[in-house]
Amino acid sequence: MTTGTVDLLVVDDGTTLRGYDCRDVLRVEEAGEEETGSAGRYRIHLGRLGGAREVRCREVLGSVALTAKQIRPVPEVLSDRLGGEKPWAVGVTDRGICLLF
Amino acid sequence: MTSPVGISPLDEAREELLREASIEAEASGVEKVQEEAAPPRTLLVFFLGAEGFAVDLAHVRKVLRPDRIARVSGAAPEVLGLMNCQGEVLCILDLRKILSPGKETAPAPAPEGKFIIVVRHEGKEAGFLVDAVRDVVELPASSVHPVLETVDPSRARLFEGTVSYGGRFAGLLSPSACLNP
Repeated sequence: MTTGTVDLLVVDDGTTLRGYDCRDVLRVEEAGEEETGSAGRYRIHLGRLGGAREVRCREVLGSVALTAKQIRPVPEVLSDRLGGEKPWAVGVTDRGICLLF
Repeated sequence: MTSPVGISPLDEAREELLREASIEAEASGVEKVQEEAAPPRTLLVFFLGAEGFAVDLAHVRKVLRPDRIARVSGAAPEVLGLMNCQGEVLCILDLRKILSPGKETAPAPAPEGKFIIVVRHEGKEAGFLVDAVRDVVELPASSVHPVLETVDPSRARLFEGTVSYGGRFAGLLSPSACLNP
């Protein structure tokens, strides 16, 4: 049995806290003023672990290490009612609940 | 005047009446046995505004006061968010929006002073935000009546039936229909 942690980059999309595996993050960059709009101020480039993709967020809050105890399954009732990309789990952090992608 | 076999028409009429009475008595006895056989329903009665609702207590895991609810982007309008309930992450649904979908685009209600009823059915669980939790009542199964035909079918599917409670009617929620979109 391991007692390790997973390091997450926690961002705020304006509504929800989202966590991305730090090992998957290629780089974070600030979006140009003309493209900031409602999509968010920062661009997160992901793909070190798999397919390349880009997500936008309002704020980058930093990294947090989550233990297995802090990682919970996504409630099925929520999963049934979510459009778009589905989180693989939910993290319970000091800052609040964040969805893990 | 008597009939050839010695039974007057009056006797015949009396016999017929007795036969009917015994059939009715037998039928009501069956109903009574059936009523006694069906176990009573224990219901949690709650309110959304002035409207009363009920849910079978067998499906209620707990009743909570709302805590910090984390909103979720991209979720259906009835999803208020996620709440940390003693380390367990609970999805909180706005029952008002489930019962009246698309009726209003008002912001989510402030949860202060309200209650969350945690309902579980067939492995699915969610917390429903309600205005007030009023009572726990035990009613005979025969008190559950079918949903009125005048109720819109899309709303009617959310109910198991209607119960009369304290001289008022309350919609008995179907946990399955409310938990599944």
